Amino acid sequence: MSCLEFRRAVTADPRRLGREAHAHAESCAACREVLSRTLELEARLETELRFPVGAELVTRMLQRIAPRRSPVRWYALAASLLAAVAVAASVALLRDDPLARAGIDFVLYEEAQAIIDAKPADAAVLRRVATGLGVTLPGQLGEIRYIGTCPFAGATAHHVVVKTPLGKSTLLLLPERSLASRLAASANGLRAAIVPVRGGAVAIVSPSARGIARIEALLKSG
Amino acid sequence: MHMLLERRQAVFGSSVRAHAEDLYRYAFWLCRDRWRAEDLVQETLARAWRGWAGLREAGAVKSWLYTILYHEFARDAEKLKLEPGVPEEPEEPHASGDPALGLDVKRALGHLNDESRHALLLQVLGGFSCTEIAQMLGSTEGAVMTRLSRARQALRRALEPADFNKEAKEA
Repeated sequence: MSCLEFRRAVTADPRRLGREAHAHAESCAACREVLSRTLELEARLETELRFPVGAELVTRMLQRIAPRRSPVRWYALAASLLAAVAVAASVALLRDDPLARAGIDFVLYEEAQAIIDAKPADAAVLRRVATGLGVTLPGQLGEIRYIGTCPFAGATAHHVVVKTPLGKSTLLLLPERSLASRLAASANGLRAAIVPVRGGAVAIVSPSARGIARIEALLKSG
Repeated sequence: MHMLLERRQAVFGSSVRAHAEDLYRYAFWLCRDRWRAEDLVQETLARAWRGWAGLREAGAVKSWLYTILYHEFARDAEKLKLEPGVPEEPEEPHASGDPALGLDVKRALGHLNDESRHALLLQVLGGFSCTEIAQMLGSTEGAVMTRLSRARQALRRALEPADFNKEAKEA
């Protein structure tokens, strides 16, 4: 290992140096000094970042997650039912489609885990799938941050996360899904559209309607 | 049914309690506002609770929580029309007992770009490796190493004596 490689390893992760790096530090006094000073700096940084957090704050944050059973649970149940009716009514009024809403739920609750669990994906496969669907993924879409596959609505979706000028957006290419018309939903600050295309459908989840319209236009620009 | 729910809540509570303090610190260093940090952690835990049944790998709880929190922060920042990491004076008390040093560290952190600071916080507070951070950010290990190296070099330039920086640069 050279001094340059050693210093890159030290500044990238000083607490996880491999055997080779430790051996280098043993034989190079200057690098040993760099390591020592870097670890000192790391300790100072950690001390500052790990400011004390009161136990009551942690308890308060945890207590608000899910309501526990209480003596007034019947009132709570009645209130929950009323709230559920209100939510159902508002959903019906907004005509959110369940499949499009599933796209939003995927981004909110499953996307992070899907990315963590995913194996490296092949960009060529994604291109083939896109071609089969009759859509293009042009460079103007934005920076593609992730590609992979994941289960979605009972089938395998080709999952793409793209950083667009209008915010982070998720595309789910659904070759096995045929749709009669475009579906849409809006919830939790996100919008979703499931767009029928030649060989299936594409779900688009974005922070704004403008973001969806832009992606939709670019997908069909080929 | 209730017993099952309570058991689920208990398992969830014990799983996330171990990470709650560092999640709060991570949220604070992302947004530099203790009230917003508390809201971000609560929203993160609420989302985690709703998605708890779908979590397939118990060992992934920590990275899952940090990833949800960052998404919450980014969404919140967009809603507030704030860019992530707008420099503000942090109001959390100093941990080191040396206010001058604390201020230097905070100022130096404030000057890092968002991507470098984010990677650094994940490593120092979350204890994640470069590989894990790359998976969480949807990036490559090499890119994460570069961000971390730049972050530490910038911190060193801001905090270390000039002679050491010169020496390190020459080597």
